[in-house]
Amino acid sequence: MSQTARSSRIGEPVRRKEDLRLVTGKGCFSDDVSLPRQVFAVMVRSTHAHARILDVDTRKALASPGVLAVLTGRDLLADGLKPFPHKPFTSHPADIAMVNSDGTPLFSAPQYPLALGKVRYVGEIVAMVVATTVAAAKDGAELVDIGYAELPAVTNTVAAARPDATRLWDEARSNVCLDADTGDRKGTEAGFARAAHVVRFETWVQRVTGVPMEPRAAVCEYDAVTQRYTLHAGSGGAVRLKQELAAILDVPAENVRVLMQDVGGNFGTRGFIYPEFALVAWAARRVGRPVKWTCTRQESFLSDYQGRDLAVEAELALDADGNFLAMRGSNIGNAGAHTANFSPLRKGVEIMSSIYRMPAANFRARTVLSNTMMTRPYRSAGRPEVMYVMERLIDLAARECGFDRIELRRRNLLSQAELPYTNPWGMIYDSGAYHEVMEKALKLGDWAGFAERRAEARSRGKCRGIGVANYVDTATGVPRERGEVTVHPDGRVDVVIGIVSNGQGHETSFAQLVTEWLGVPFENVRIIAGDTDIVKVGGGTHGGRGMRLASIVIWNSSRQIIEKGTRLAALLLNSEPSEIEFKDGRFLLNGTGRSIGLFEVAAAGTQLKDLPDDLRGPLAAFSDETVNVAGFPYGCHVCEVEIDPELGTVEIVRYSAVDDVGRAVNPMIVHGQIHGGIAQGVGQALLEQCFYDAATGQLLSGSFMDYAMPRADSLPFFKTEISEVPSPTHPLGMRPAGEGGTTPALGVVINAVVDALAGYGVKHVEMPATPERIWRAIREAQTPSPAAANR
Amino acid sequence: MYDFDYHRPASLDDVAAIISAHGDFKVLAGGMSLIPTLKLRLARYSGLVDLGGVESLKGITRDGNALVIGAMTPHATVATSPEVERAIPALADLARGIGDPLVRNRGTIGGSIANADPAADYPAGVLGLGATVWTNKRKIAADDFFVGLFETALRPDEIITAVSFPLAKAAGYAKLRQSASRFALVGVFVAKTARGVRVAVTGAGPSVFRFRDAEAALEKRFETSALDGIRVEADGLNSDIHASAEYRAHCVGVLTKRAVWAARSNPA
Repeated sequence: MSQTARSSRIGEPVRRKEDLRLVTGKGCFSDDVSLPRQVFAVMVRSTHAHARILDVDTRKALASPGVLAVLTGRDLLADGLKPFPHKPFTSHPADIAMVNSDGTPLFSAPQYPLALGKVRYVGEIVAMVVATTVAAAKDGAELVDIGYAELPAVTNTVAAARPDATRLWDEARSNVCLDADTGDRKGTEAGFARAAHVVRFETWVQRVTGVPMEPRAAVCEYDAVTQRYTLHAGSGGAVRLKQELAAILDVPAENVRVLMQDVGGNFGTRGFIYPEFALVAWAARRVGRPVKWTCTRQESFLSDYQGRDLAVEAELALDADGNFLAMRGSNIGNAGAHTANFSPLRKGVEIMSSIYRMPAANFRARTVLSNTMMTRPYRSAGRPEVMYVMERLIDLAARECGFDRIELRRRNLLSQAELPYTNPWGMIYDSGAYHEVMEKALKLGDWAGFAERRAEARSRGKCRGIGVANYVDTATGVPRERGEVTVHPDGRVDVVIGIVSNGQGHETSFAQLVTEWLGVPFENVRIIAGDTDIVKVGGGTHGGRGMRLASIVIWNSSRQIIEKGTRLAALLLNSEPSEIEFKDGRFLLNGTGRSIGLFEVAAAGTQLKDLPDDLRGPLAAFSDETVNVAGFPYGCHVCEVEIDPELGTVEIVRYSAVDDVGRAVNPMIVHGQIHGGIAQGVGQALLEQCFYDAATGQLLSGSFMDYAMPRADSLPFFKTEISEVPSPTHPLGMRPAGEGGTTPALGVVINAVVDALAGYGVKHVEMPATPERIWRAIREAQTPSPAAANR
Repeated sequence: MYDFDYHRPASLDDVAAIISAHGDFKVLAGGMSLIPTLKLRLARYSGLVDLGGVESLKGITRDGNALVIGAMTPHATVATSPEVERAIPALADLARGIGDPLVRNRGTIGGSIANADPAADYPAGVLGLGATVWTNKRKIAADDFFVGLFETALRPDEIITAVSFPLAKAAGYAKLRQSASRFALVGVFVAKTARGVRVAVTGAGPSVFRFRDAEAALEKRFETSALDGIRVEADGLNSDIHASAEYRAHCVGVLTKRAVWAARSNPA
């Protein structure tokens, strides 16, 4: 598939370079890497949600054929391994600060790769068995005898926050490890005091998990001579994994090399180090052979970082005309068993008011520990939750106070003249055509024609509903990124960058940048991201930072290359740099018709002997940038559903989206991101849930038999449009595109479901809106006249 | 997966001989439930006897007023068979809705009913049509075959050879899928047979069962309105993270009507 440079430039829907490799099974994922003499690790996981470990007897396991080692928490401490280097918040100056309102420091407790003393969730690793085959390791694992003293468990978010709840950590005063007061209490009280209407909404945004198509896997070898660990493991980025691994192993960072090639899905799930990665490295040193571990799907459900899980109480105050006056409430995020990450709580609460004019707001924000797997940022961390809350509040306000829901949005949506706008938490929305994008989405979704479609559906016995949701997405994440671009004389261009593709198509979209700016053939651009011996700095793929930061560092590097190349070309063409123009990969000498190509110039730099020092050597440049402003993608989605009122089943029949990405490098990839994002949001709205048994803390949704994923036949063909209002805070006007599909999807789907059931008097359906929940909502709304529900 | 011996004999007699020689050997049909169970180490057998090599267990034949389906006939064959479509279209419809294409290509009718998963589709068709299960030892009426949760009347050394379905005057199947597994959360098979109306419910209880009150009502009048006010008790029905017993009981009512509607619009 050869494409000319012109058709591979920025803005072109170039087919993805990586797809032929990936769809023909030629990708190289973590489990595809095998090393000579490798042996295999199997993890022995806690079967209890909360228990003291009395004793771990490894003798029988050690005697089992093929078993080389059985390692426990005691061995880990003896070998000097350190706890995870948890940072509950990624430090980015654009996000709000979160501190305890009583001034005490945040509670944090060490987490080691193996449980010590206590297990705090089902699936926590207690021991590791290393053997010559996977089967032998499994046999050994079955023989590890662990004595437990069971303790009561708490998994529910609100229950865990109660003062009398079972405490996970004896050292803590309660399970609440962060209790912050955010926004402006006085101004909010004043707003509520003069409100004509107050609308209240209480909900739980249920816990879900990322379910990457490729389960995690890792293989590590240790070189006793150089004392170096080489870990092959897919992740969101190689550099962060290297640093985290070095911290746990307590070795200098240069003693660790991390490698990864293809990564089959991330969504935040793969953003951080896992205990198993440190354990295989440690085991490789202990047994003197490479150690490999591959996650089973069941382990993945138990032990992949999970997402969402936010309990919200919110109130919205409006004046008699429907102007928003203030909002207030409480958000409780469930962090799971360890103080690993509180980021989604902050990422949500700081933009609770979305892109609406909100004079004041005040939210209590808490993070609570519970006997569950840890949560981490999951596609659009924190924002889908709060956009859902805001958009539900608006629909409830319209219903309860008699406003038209579109007019209510139009009235309160920020106009372009009001931007940049500082929201009640101090977040500064940079720019955007919020009204225009909503109107476009309403048109794309044919809001005007809905009444006719509803009537037609009614004739078939179906309840049809329509919903709308606006959103804004704060993109921050790790602020620093480095990119290095090298023009090789043989016609290749290499880009070294710390942003690993987890399916986003960087090999294509990053190459398009280079093709645009250096005028080189698209096919000849190579992206190198997954080897820490080459990539020294980089924040990885998360938080809408991939293209946003890659474009900046590649742009800066490209400009330096053109500048240096221009001076070289001037020498070669016996002229002055001011007379040289760079165009389509060639340096042109003005008015002469004479020119020299980029690669010839690169060759001259390495071959000519009499060059000035700063021009000699490879034609290469790097850019190391720390970007302290946030990106603010936004958009509007419209969803239409049909409900079978007898069974309560929902079918999404139309879905339209307009998303502003500032500038789309590859519109086809952007559309694909939005499609996938919508599917992920629909999954949460209708299907998915990590279901922990309240009494025992057992995970009841531990396989695809019980964890419902959205499938192609759960979704209609989407209508997606890209809006391109350049962002003034990004040098190239770009806004992130990876999370916007998901951010409004929860709210828009539930708004449509509730609209479909409005005729029954249904005001809300919790997520996932399962058939039973819908059936019950209809029945309860119909009480005391249940007969009408069965019409 | 634990280690096991594997046999693939070509005749039913050889299968029987291997089974009687080794007490803890398990018969392997399509493997759609057995293989995952083994892979997860949830079961352990010292040997498997694969029926895939026994040609006599495959195929679909019309035998007078009955349709006989060999135990090792895959769902996809039943789903696309003109013979089934002519004789009992509702059965072809049921087979078309089992699992996904991979399961339909591998899974077999004999394997499905021997496993007697409480949420499987075939048990509803077998019980609803009043079929007879043929084994290498005897013939078992459907009413006697399904005993309980994953439990049948089969003896340890008994192998299903075929299922004989009497043709129905009308039949229909309606189900609601569980959203994760896509097994039947509730499935109802309704048939108007020479020996009366039969209604079989799968997914809702620990085992497929007959909905007698609905049968009696439909016997008088084979139309959906005959079912008004006829309910199944939630007591004793399945309750799990996907649905409560109460909702399942409600679905039995709705789906029975829909199965009747399907039967009436698609008479044999």
